Amino acid sequence: MRKRSSFRIFLAVQNALFLRELSMRFSSGRMGMFWTFFEPFFQILIFVLIKVLIFGKTGGNFDFSVFLALNFIAFNMFKNIVSKSMGSFRANKALFVYKQVKPIDTIIARTLIELFITGCIIIIFFSIGYYFNFDMEMKNFAMVAFGFFALFLFSFSYALFLAVLNVFFDSTAKIIGFSMTPLIFGSAVVYTLESIPVEFQGLLLYNPLTHFMEIIHGFYFYALDDHFVSYSYISLWTLSFLYLGLWFYIKLEKRIISA
Amino acid sequence: MIELKSVSKFFKTKEGKKYILKDVTITLPSHKNIGILGRNGTGKSTIMRMLGQIEFPNSGLIKSEKSFSWPLGLSGGFVGNMSGKANVKFVCRLYGKSNKEIQKTVDFVKEFSELDDYFDMPIKTYSSGMKSRLSFGLSLSFDFDYLLIDETLSVGDAKFRKKSKEALLKKIESCNVLLVSHDMGTLRDICDVGIVVNRGNIEYFEDINLAIKKYALINKA
Repeated sequence: MRKRSSFRIFLAVQNALFLRELSMRFSSGRMGMFWTFFEPFFQILIFVLIKVLIFGKTGGNFDFSVFLALNFIAFNMFKNIVSKSMGSFRANKALFVYKQVKPIDTIIARTLIELFITGCIIIIFFSIGYYFNFDMEMKNFAMVAFGFFALFLFSFSYALFLAVLNVFFDSTAKIIGFSMTPLIFGSAVVYTLESIPVEFQGLLLYNPLTHFMEIIHGFYFYALDDHFVSYSYISLWTLSFLYLGLWFYIKLEKRIISA
Repeated sequence: MIELKSVSKFFKTKEGKKYILKDVTITLPSHKNIGILGRNGTGKSTIMRMLGQIEFPNSGLIKSEKSFSWPLGLSGGFVGNMSGKANVKFVCRLYGKSNKEIQKTVDFVKEFSELDDYFDMPIKTYSSGMKSRLSFGLSLSFDFDYLLIDETLSVGDAKFRKKSKEALLKKIESCNVLLVSHDMGTLRDICDVGIVVNRGNIEYFEDINLAIKKYALINKA
């Protein structure tokens, strides 16, 4: 057997896991490939429709439906990375007979899959938006992309931390599961932070997700900005979760493999 | 060469630690096919898994320069709702094979395993015999220094058993095996040397026949 460098092995494993995960989703059910992209798409669409149809476009001087779609895409990326990664140690246990597959590889692969799907959903929304002539002009593309990327890193760190925690306290997955929906309302997904009373703003700013949302829609719309965002605060959360997650993971890797 | 240096492995049970290996130091020579004998539950499979680096000793070191296959057992390694073909491709990708090599491997495994239409069906529809055909066929298409085979040869029908034994005899011209089996005939045909696992200890025998004798003695006691 020819020797491969660690990095080559890592790439080979990621390639294999990514394609496997994707083909598993495509092969689930009759229209697997369609639903892989359109199930998350419709989830977002329904939320946006309900909100806009019932409460109207009370956004101010930007298109509120675009605002909601943008925020839900970002929030769903976070939600899916966390919820899919949390169970990935258990779901991929059979693969640990191949010694090059480390538990963390399965989390990385699932996270990348979610990133890929999010990218596809953004393309779908953009195509539909342009077709129906929505006002989708972006203020600062680079910073919006940065916002998504920062949120992606945060989601991965958080997911890794929770996945390791879930090995010992299997209640973790349950708690995170039902805390996701209330989190929508506590993270500036369906409103801008500016539009709510000042006494709540400070409270919501403890939630790191609020900051990511504010970056993303703050740089998308001309009418908004990022003056609430503390970049050092979200870096601190991301690094803390990443550090703790990796630290626990390194300590527990062998136990997870042979559990 | 496989070196075990004061290796201990135990499982925690309600009555305390149950030792599979207790401070075992042993060196197994290179270029020998090694048969592993022992009664059920003495830790043969655990030793295999430790050599395959998916189980780890509680203390001590296992050292080897050689490459080991994944432990070819009755279960595991395959994803239930993917087809046999997709699983074969997946494992090839894990080992960094190019697309051309993957196609070659797929063709080989399909032919060798004689699964026909089942090859494109989900693994969960397979019987255990069919699974081990796939797994065995797949392992033959890699160049490991050691194949770790855990009882897989004893499932499958008579015709396939014969075929796989012949294939294995051909394969061991270029590589070695570590074989767990309760079939003394297979052990005699394939293995040169043997180890007997008993009560937390490993005993090494230069000749597989001596190992078989020892094993018979343990079984009588």
